[in-house]
Amino acid sequence: MKSKRRTPAQLLVSTIILFFFTAFLLLALKDFQPLSFLMTALVPLIFFAATVLIPRLFPADRLLLSMVNFLCALGVLILYRMNPKQGLDQAVNYGVGVVAMLFFILFVRSLRHWRQPIMLLAVASIVLMALPLIFGTERNGARAWISVFGLSFQPSEMVKVFLLLVVSYLLSKRNVIPAALFAGICLLMLMLQKDLGTALIYYAVTLILIFAATRSFFYLGAGFIGALVGGLIGYNMFSHVKRRVRIWIDPWYDYEGAGYQIVQSLIAMVNGGVWGTGLGLGHAYDIPANTTDFVFSIILNEFGLVFGVCVVLVYLLLFLRGIGIALRSSSRFYTLLSLGASCLIALQTFIIIGGNIKMIPLTGVTLPFISYGGSSLLSSMCIMGILQGVASINEDDVQEDQELARIQEGYA
Amino acid sequence: MKLIRQNIRLIATVLCVLLISLVVYGAYSISTQGSRWFSSGANKYLRRTKANVTAGNIVDRANVLLATTDNTGKRVYSSDEAVRRAMVHVVGDSANNIAYGAESFMADHLYAFNESYLERLAQGLQGKIRRGYDIRLSVDSRLSKKAYSLFPKDKSGAIVVMNYRTGELLALQSYPSFDPMNLTQLDKDNPLKPFWNRATKWISAPGSAFKVITLAGALQHIPDAINKTFHCSGELVLENTTITDANNAVHNDLNLKKALALSCNIAFSQAILEMGDKNLQQTASNFGFGDYFLFSDLVVENSVYPTTDRTEKEIAWTGPGQSRLQVTPLHMCMVAAAIANDGIMMEPKLLLGVTNNAGVSRFDFFAREHRIALDKPTADTIADYMREVVRTGTGTRAGVSGIPVCGKTGSAQIDGQRETNAWFVGFIDDPKYPFAVCVVVEDAGGGGSVAAPIAGELFKFMTGR
Repeated sequence: MKSKRRTPAQLLVSTIILFFFTAFLLLALKDFQPLSFLMTALVPLIFFAATVLIPRLFPADRLLLSMVNFLCALGVLILYRMNPKQGLDQAVNYGVGVVAMLFFILFVRSLRHWRQPIMLLAVASIVLMALPLIFGTERNGARAWISVFGLSFQPSEMVKVFLLLVVSYLLSKRNVIPAALFAGICLLMLMLQKDLGTALIYYAVTLILIFAATRSFFYLGAGFIGALVGGLIGYNMFSHVKRRVRIWIDPWYDYEGAGYQIVQSLIAMVNGGVWGTGLGLGHAYDIPANTTDFVFSIILNEFGLVFGVCVVLVYLLLFLRGIGIALRSSSRFYTLLSLGASCLIALQTFIIIGGNIKMIPLTGVTLPFISYGGSSLLSSMCIMGILQGVASINEDDVQEDQELARIQEGYA
Repeated sequence: MKLIRQNIRLIATVLCVLLISLVVYGAYSISTQGSRWFSSGANKYLRRTKANVTAGNIVDRANVLLATTDNTGKRVYSSDEAVRRAMVHVVGDSANNIAYGAESFMADHLYAFNESYLERLAQGLQGKIRRGYDIRLSVDSRLSKKAYSLFPKDKSGAIVVMNYRTGELLALQSYPSFDPMNLTQLDKDNPLKPFWNRATKWISAPGSAFKVITLAGALQHIPDAINKTFHCSGELVLENTTITDANNAVHNDLNLKKALALSCNIAFSQAILEMGDKNLQQTASNFGFGDYFLFSDLVVENSVYPTTDRTEKEIAWTGPGQSRLQVTPLHMCMVAAAIANDGIMMEPKLLLGVTNNAGVSRFDFFAREHRIALDKPTADTIADYMREVVRTGTGTRAGVSGIPVCGKTGSAQIDGQRETNAWFVGFIDDPKYPFAVCVVVEDAGGGGSVAAPIAGELFKFMTGR
């Protein structure tokens, strides 16, 4: 018999939908644009579809799903508030991202023989990484973008997903050297594109996966020393790395120039105070790149410190949920895959938020799910698709076990 | 698989710590430095908001008006030009020439940034322009004006007066000063930089005034230091340097008490060489050298006890307060205050109270210890020796008859300067008048002849004699 009471998960979903509905309604009543009213209806709808309908298709992790969708919708909200055009773009990206997530869930669920697809992905990664070096255009000092039919995208974001799959697969077959080699090639090409933030993430995730697969403190130590040496070489070779470190140590020495971004970010944070200025009442326009690298500062500015802490905690929960999936998985490949996926998101979050609050030097990576950018949102959603795929396989296994147990009981 | 799971738990723990450290670091840096970021000149939002809110009044401890907004919305300061000049570095100015005056550093009160939306709404409904809170500062305009009249014209320097029991600052002045209501091109071009708050942002060697700290180190680290005799033959020859005294004085045999009273460089060089650089560094750090000063009401440059390239020459000159020692006048005042306050260094405070438009208090003053600099017996001994300085030594001109004034002079030699920087730090050892003072006059001569008389007049004024 079905109980009429709502489960906590349902309550959570309805609360979040209400939150976004009122938030967009607020913006809509303020500017009275038809587009704003459209968003008021559209975003809660995507959220509903992504969190309620997907688990009907296959056994997904509902909590993980609602957290991811919450972050995505929050991103759309913040971006729409700062810049309606980017907000609309991001809503489309979000929709595409949900489809990509679905695709990856199905991909992971249906594939039984990984060998050939993985080889294909490895080759594709290297080709993709070479593209910007040949056809690329330079943006913010990094040569990481290519344009196809007027749509520009960042291959390194997609390769992030492939790297995860390839390295996990190789490591699950105990091929440590090929895994390291493959990651090294990707990393080298990334360095040539001068996309150092992403390079750092590639490096750390590969290192984590190698350590998890081997528990070799030798590899771990070698990795740390390698990072240190790489960091020193980078510091001495690239003038902009030196400048970043200088700004990190004291952004105030040149707060109208080099330190401007980070100083404005810090100021936006404190201007918001504990409870924030309120949605639409903030003033984070002074921060350059406010919808990509510094989107977290806007969140702190408009929603306040308490909300900001909660957002960090959502990322933390999301990470722990992913780790739970990794621990429950019975296959070596899926375990490493879901570990890598969770660590990737957590590390990226740490690197960018740490940069925003001046805890570590700023490297231009996006805040997963929230920052403006199609490639970035897409890759994050693909990674979540992988995680959900593994989660649903775990769930299938559990159900199979229960089925078996029931059958055995029947015979007994 | 089991091994992998173990590894995963380890990795997960590390990453969890990383993510949580974001929250911890963020909370820490905002709580300690948030007010500095907020009130900085780079805060465009603050500048924009200032246009929409009428700033509150600033009054001194006796409720004398220091700053207010007239009915045309213009910010006006005290009607007495001498008071304006004497207090501009504390109060600040509307043009923001003073980096961290109350006008900017306490903007969150003056412009009522933490006012609740309910209060804002109530004011809005009444059709009033929003008005910020009034603040009351601990400084004393009468005393500040007196100090301003005592300081030599066309010299640069600083005067700090604080209550050593509570840390309340009674005067915080930097010279040369300027009139915030009549800023001239001459002020802007003045090579002595009148906008710079020397009391809090200027760091320099304190000269012999530092000997109180060397004395503290000697009392703590040299066995039976009180009865120990030092010998001053007029010069102490060391590797690469010779320590001499002012006017090449020869003091012969003397104990620390007499050495402090006569400000004998040689005895204090011998003292640091005997106790060792590390020990004096420890004592100095107890007095706050090397601290990151994150005071709630003030932005203060950090003081430095040099730790690199410690040659014998450097070490020997550190004892008498030369070498690369760097300290602000405010910090030296805190040093004297700590000795006066049984070794407890109080955090300097400026803000006494905040009241909103309805007259309701929004802030309560509380005294806070900054650190424990000394144990009480050592502090008492140093105070006794400092009393001797004023009674018979180099600081006699700071004395006031019938008042137990303790002090120490300093004449710091600075490369490229014709005259020495004149320093005097001291206090009144009487619970009725718990005041500590630091006077610095740059490029002016000896501490005993230039700075001590100013301090003496201030002590006289404060005790009503």
